[in-house]
Amino acid sequence: MSGITEQCELRFSPSSSTDTGTFKLLELPADICKLIESSDTANFPRFTIIGATDEDAVLCTADKTYTVRSVVLSNSILVVTSDPLGENVEDDDEPIHEVFIRDQLQEVIELVPSVPRLHKLNSFLRGREYDEGHEDEDMGTNSDDDVSEKRQKFTYEDARSTIQASHAELDKGLRDRRILILNGELRPIARSHLTTILELILTNLVSLSLPHTAAPIATLVSALEDEHDIRSAVSRQVLGWFGRVDENRGTWEMNVDAVIREVGLGILRVYWNDPAHDKAFLAQWRKAVGDTFEDKVALPLLSGNYLTSIDSLSEPPKTLLTYFPSSELPVEPGARFAELFLARPRWKIEEISPFLADISVDAKERDKLLLKHARTVTDPEGIWYAARAKYSG
Amino acid sequence: MLIDINVNLPGPSSPKRRPLPPQIVQFGTEELVLIELQGALEVDGNKDGQLVGNLRVDPNTKKPTMMIGHHLLEGKLVNLAKPLAVLHKHGSPPGADDGAAMEVEDGSSRPAAHATSWDVVAVVKKKMVFAKRPLPVVGHSTGKGSSAVPLSRIGSKAV
Repeated sequence: MSGITEQCELRFSPSSSTDTGTFKLLELPADICKLIESSDTANFPRFTIIGATDEDAVLCTADKTYTVRSVVLSNSILVVTSDPLGENVEDDDEPIHEVFIRDQLQEVIELVPSVPRLHKLNSFLRGREYDEGHEDEDMGTNSDDDVSEKRQKFTYEDARSTIQASHAELDKGLRDRRILILNGELRPIARSHLTTILELILTNLVSLSLPHTAAPIATLVSALEDEHDIRSAVSRQVLGWFGRVDENRGTWEMNVDAVIREVGLGILRVYWNDPAHDKAFLAQWRKAVGDTFEDKVALPLLSGNYLTSIDSLSEPPKTLLTYFPSSELPVEPGARFAELFLARPRWKIEEISPFLADISVDAKERDKLLLKHARTVTDPEGIWYAARAKYSG
Repeated sequence: MLIDINVNLPGPSSPKRRPLPPQIVQFGTEELVLIELQGALEVDGNKDGQLVGNLRVDPNTKKPTMMIGHHLLEGKLVNLAKPLAVLHKHGSPPGADDGAAMEVEDGSSRPAAHATSWDVVAVVKKKMVFAKRPLPVVGHSTGKGSSAVPLSRIGSKAV
């Protein structure tokens, strides 16, 4: 017998019946592998697989989302370990001659990076909007409305366990969508109410002579609550969305552009059907933000939310603004271009760019989209982008 | 439906489990190795603890060979393009939740929907692959234990 030490017996695990089906293979993308290898036993990362029966499962790390795909192999893979029952190493040096098959696998789970799937939030939260005058409904006695009573609350915990996104992506998604968390329940804030709160914040900053770079939160919140019935839970979250909260000093640094932009949007939103004259609109906007901030008011803040046109009938010709939010355009590039060219047959690059910003990561990708979905027309006024195919004569 | 995956790799502080024989370790990790076979092992009846075959690694060429009954398989070391995490279902009592059975409560999804959790018990970057057809070995004793009728056989490749 030559080299007994190189040879070992391959056996089925003594606990085969309970071991079978308890192993799976997961292909690790480089970033997850690095994450696991760079951490030590004390702070290993945790992953979660989320998915209802009717949707493709995703795997979430703390801040990323991956689509989970099962790939069937034509070969089979044996998971082999030492004796599963011999738990600890006895201090004998007896060489081991047996290894054990714990499970036999015919599939590998693959992970593909994915964008967080936040769109379900919209359907879960339909009709749950938080508006003025909703302050007292937490008593749960709105018996006059059977439908709303039957509607289940959708909580932050529900979102964490059903929305296919990592916790970091979910939190950002809630912020971006202006969704409040009230007593653990998710409530999208009514946009008109949000505008009202922001306008009140601006006027209170002035009337209480608070510096907008370091406004004491407690003062601001209690002023809103006492005089305008804005719940502190609501105003505190709004402050968080529109500035930086310094927990230690209890102060708030306003993100001036974000607040002014949102107030402007609130005014612009009315003009989706009936265009506004730009001068009148800007005047209304300046009035709404008050003296302190009126010089910050500028149309570019609202880019991607309006279309301009020239009213050539008036003398001199006036510029008209129409509310046209890119956030409500289709996410799929082909459909988005179709909508854009429906709104306007040809665009200058600086005009169309704001409407492509949220579907392309950078200018290079935007140009790629333009190349694919639009054609260029050059005339004395410069380069225009127009729809690619025109089937009608 | 949520499934938690925790990383539970052996570290310097964790209790030492029995390592694999050194000649096997070079095909995987200290504690776990993946062996890929063309086809599958098909077994009738209770297979607990039963012998499948003899695994041998040539100390000079590092080539693995496996004798299963009267068949000799020649294998090789393959480095994986992407590392594989080996997941092990976490201490679930046997039979408590049978494999794919999902506990889905329609509509009401609470945090308690954590059905099972899995542990990453190893991250492997290579595997032992037996991709060639088994060679029949005639009139050759496979050493100790070969007198027993092999319970397992190489199953025909699916499809």
